[in-house]
Amino acid sequence: MSWGGIIITFALVDNVILSRLLGVRHSVCMPGSMRAAVGTGISTALLMAVSAVVGWALGTLALVPLGFSFLQTPAFVLAVAGLALLLRQAAARVSPAFVKDVSFPEVAVNCATLGVVLITTRGGYTAGESLVAGSAAGLGYFLVTVMMTAIRERLEVEQVPRALRGLPLHLISAGLLAYAFMAFDRAFLARVLGG
Amino acid sequence: MALDAGLGKRIAGEHRISMLLLGLCPAVAVSVRVIDALWMSAGVFSVALLAALCGALVRRWGRSGEGAAAGATVGKWMGALALSSCLTACFEVVLLAVAPEASASLGIYAPLIAVNCLVLGSAGTGARDSSITRAVLDAAEQGLGFSACLLLIALLRESLGAGTITLFAVDGFNGVIAIPSLARDPARALGASGAGLLCLGYLGASARLLRWRGEGREKELSP
Repeated sequence: MSWGGIIITFALVDNVILSRLLGVRHSVCMPGSMRAAVGTGISTALLMAVSAVVGWALGTLALVPLGFSFLQTPAFVLAVAGLALLLRQAAARVSPAFVKDVSFPEVAVNCATLGVVLITTRGGYTAGESLVAGSAAGLGYFLVTVMMTAIRERLEVEQVPRALRGLPLHLISAGLLAYAFMAFDRAFLARVLGG
Repeated sequence: MALDAGLGKRIAGEHRISMLLLGLCPAVAVSVRVIDALWMSAGVFSVALLAALCGALVRRWGRSGEGAAAGATVGKWMGALALSSCLTACFEVVLLAVAPEASASLGIYAPLIAVNCLVLGSAGTGARDSSITRAVLDAAEQGLGFSACLLLIALLRESLGAGTITLFAVDGFNGVIAIPSLARDPARALGASGAGLLCLGYLGASARLLRWRGEGREKELSP
């Protein structure tokens, strides 16, 4: 697949939240302002891009040659958590206000990040492709997180049945958004890329 | 608290419902077939149970020794992650040996059990709670609630979305039960990922209604 194809696939066609249902908890269901959502989206997108490359390096250069493929899950989980801690340290130096808005433990255990690492590793991507795929998945994650926060803010002032208020309505809204994203399918990809 | 006495009340609690829904989110992706939901439930149940048990044992051991000093938040958090991911890796190895088809079918969702909030919560509860029995019972209750909800969603999605119910294949039976009236014209939209989120949302709303009805709080039903 071309790099353009990887970007469109990971950002839209195979969106990590709406198609794979990864990271729904953090992007759809977490209450918070748009500022916090943007912060979380940016930090998760950055973590996805870096984690995809680190995951490739861990898998290709260490685990598979040494015959420890069965340790992929603990290795990837701890690598992502460690990278999240490093990202927090770096963010704290650059912008302390940014760190206040983002819950880094939540970013670290976000299954979307681990999911992207697993997809790129199992998909046999190269280091460059993993970086592009991770960045594109991060872009898709950021896009959906911001969209869902905007929807959530609009829904808060609407009259809805009490039983649906809060989490159930957020999940239903995400489900409807997922149906809307089905417009970005393989045919769309072929049309855009002229294939 | 006895498992059967507290189960309904604890699963139906507002916080529990939210935790359950959030824990179900990634797992719902494999709820297109009942058999996949069964394997995923088995994985989350066993990993959560063992994580709670190991967490409680580590806590007890840590109290009596110098391990109590290692109580820094980051250390505990990384410890819970390491515990849940190692147990998940064990589950993956067992699943690959016992049922390779199920392992392939679950794909990337089997490793994701490690960061499921129910599993991490169980590991955390086990680490905080002084009673091992209580920690294990808590994890068992959550695991049962998770399994029941995931199987319900899978049953709904597969029966209405494909007109079949896929179970384990045994001698002379391929494991697929076709529902005659639905198999001809199934609602294929229920097989899409969005349907999983819709089912989850309506399940959460239904659980709330049942809870309110159970508590006799009819006034809360009015808009």
